[in-house]
Amino acid sequence: MKKIILALFICAVACNLAYAGAALKKNCGCGLGSILFENNEGLMSQTAAATTNGIFGNQTFGISSGTLECNQPQEFYGSLMLHRFVAENMDNLAKDISRGQGESLETLAILMNVPQQQRGEFSTKLQSNFGRIFTSPQVSEEEVVANIIAVTKTA
Amino acid sequence: MCAGSAQQILGADAAYVDSLIKKAGQKQLHQNRYWHILLHYKKTLTGCKSVIDDPRFFLARDGKHNPWAELEATLRAFFTTPDDPANPPLCRFIARYAWLKEQLGFDESKLPVASCRKFNQTMDVIRPKSAALIFPAAYMNNPASMFGHTFINIETETRSKLLSHAVNYSAFTTEKNGLVFALKGLSGSYKGYFSILPYYGKVQEYSDIDQRDIWEYRLNFNEAEVKKMVMHIWELQGIYSYYYFFDENCSYHILFLLEAGRPALHLTDRPNWWVIPIDTVRELEDAHAIASADYRPSRATKIRYTASFMDTQQQITAIGLSWGTVEPESVLRADIPAKAKAGMLDLAAEYLQYSYVKKELEKERYTALFLKLLTARSTLGTKAAPELSPPAPGDPEKGHASNRMGIGFGARKGDWFEELRLRPAYHTLIDHDAGYERGAQIQFMNMALRYYHEKETFELKSLDVIDIISLSPRDLLFKPFSWKAKTGFRQQLMPDGDNHLIYQLNTGGGFAYRSKQLGLYYGMVEGDLNLSGSFKENYALGIGASAGLKKNVTDRWTVFLEARSLYYGLGDEHKTYELTMKHSFALSAQRSLSWEVTRTRTFGIYETDAVFMCNLFF
Repeated sequence: MKKIILALFICAVACNLAYAGAALKKNCGCGLGSILFENNEGLMSQTAAATTNGIFGNQTFGISSGTLECNQPQEFYGSLMLHRFVAENMDNLAKDISRGQGESLETLAILMNVPQQQRGEFSTKLQSNFGRIFTSPQVSEEEVVANIIAVTKTA
Repeated sequence: MCAGSAQQILGADAAYVDSLIKKAGQKQLHQNRYWHILLHYKKTLTGCKSVIDDPRFFLARDGKHNPWAELEATLRAFFTTPDDPANPPLCRFIARYAWLKEQLGFDESKLPVASCRKFNQTMDVIRPKSAALIFPAAYMNNPASMFGHTFINIETETRSKLLSHAVNYSAFTTEKNGLVFALKGLSGSYKGYFSILPYYGKVQEYSDIDQRDIWEYRLNFNEAEVKKMVMHIWELQGIYSYYYFFDENCSYHILFLLEAGRPALHLTDRPNWWVIPIDTVRELEDAHAIASADYRPSRATKIRYTASFMDTQQQITAIGLSWGTVEPESVLRADIPAKAKAGMLDLAAEYLQYSYVKKELEKERYTALFLKLLTARSTLGTKAAPELSPPAPGDPEKGHASNRMGIGFGARKGDWFEELRLRPAYHTLIDHDAGYERGAQIQFMNMALRYYHEKETFELKSLDVIDIISLSPRDLLFKPFSWKAKTGFRQQLMPDGDNHLIYQLNTGGGFAYRSKQLGLYYGMVEGDLNLSGSFKENYALGIGASAGLKKNVTDRWTVFLEARSLYYGLGDEHKTYELTMKHSFALSAQRSLSWEVTRTRTFGIYETDAVFMCNLFF
């Protein structure tokens, strides 16, 4: 009995310590970003990994706004951002399109320069063509962008 | 002293730089507050020292300790032909350059560099207009995260918030062991860097993966102030400081950026030995720097909210949809309103994403199920949209302050006493929980002192070094584990009938549930280790169980009840039974009254302890 009590106690302390330690590491917030993401590669998942470890520099400001080194015109930044946003937000974007509303869909409209007054129509069109945009679970980011553009061009 | 003697300052320009340095000396610029903000200098006993540790941040060899040497070296470097023309010092340290130019009126024709191409290009892309302080709130089931994290969003007016640039300060490590990470983090063994990510990445990290709600505090900084801040961020790229969890943490380093934008803010001056993120928000609020607050619920919060409009059957159907055991077509065919169908499909999609993040299913299965649910949902149109935006709970910065002081009186075994309590951080289950995670308690160095009238003695009633309780209710959708951990000193009733100070280590785990009538209730098994010279064998180790409930009777009145039973089988063998009742009444955000009664039976002796306290949070 005594040994059981001791073993149970040590186990409880160890478990809670490990739990709290893991929780601290993962969740305590301050500065844990670099080890927070697990690498969920692939597009129909939360591809957060690509955005980690971006120590401020070319890679970071560049990440969301084109490569700093290259002298591309503004349109190129826009297009690059559109592709990157779709690639890195594909799950939430798909969900928003299926509902015909949401912040990711709104952001897509901004990146595609859809005027404010046409956004309702834009959303409805994408929603009703959901199957033509997300054609399979393996659909790539390039295909999704191409499909969205194709859908918006149809009358 | 200068960046290198091999570099050239042309004859005439050398004289010009000398005159600038002389002028800077006359104006005492090295003593100027803004110079100290830009270099992150803090006063020490003998002078000052920068909290930045990277030698590349300083142009003078002793720049970390010597503001004047750094100022002189900086001016010389600006007017010296750079080693790396693509990245000259005046572009690397662009905030210093802008400020010194303003203070000294540079003759720009004497500069070796015409313009900072890289910096200007970056500015053209970012077009900084406004800024926000972002505060992800406590993590479900981890009270330690109440300390939260803060970072800054640099926003462009015309864009979506998701495309903002999130500026973070964080420790960089690949350490996988939680305990090693904690120890190294406490001792400053990691290098901290600033980094910039698209805000949507941070939203995924906090809202979608960690299930933490986010508060966005829009600052009332004007465009010029935001630009100053961005220029200083630019200077800090690739520059490290050693990272300390408690004081030189993410929230602390972020404060320098805010001061660089608006030097009238005095945020880094306080001699605090730790920085609690939410206190940063409170200080900004006090300094009238916050224009508005927006709430961004986590995925778990949205799931709970959506589910709260559904009956049990609909929730079970939604879970079935996310598991693939219910076909979306059967929901579409059902004879119910389109809004109810959309609600179940939306809940299922969110819950499926939640399960995937929790690694409860493989990617192939997830993507197939997810697409099937969304395809079905897309046929229902936009009008069927159910309510998906939970209302904002109480603003965290409006909750009670972190420090608590209490005075009160009470009686133990008929002996009256006065009691004084002090607690530097942070929140207990019965403190007013507006702005706090319900069911979470975290206390550090909670101390209670008593003076007994009859015995005419002072007594240290208790010193809780760490005291954490995390009660996370289980329901159909979420099955979290509740736990507690406590260590410190407390008075313990001994066979001699007297109380003696002992050291205690207690930890437990179990389940919690929530009901409308009972509030939050729980059961746990626990282990308890007591050490004291007053024990015959110097220790007692036991196991036991506890059950309790916490109920918010009204908005201000909170009740806590708990029953514990422990059997100490090792060391001094004995049994302990304990019944506790606590009431707390919030008079205002920062004041409360509480009443606590404990009835204990240990070593066969009964004891009742009752205390009434007035509490002040500050």
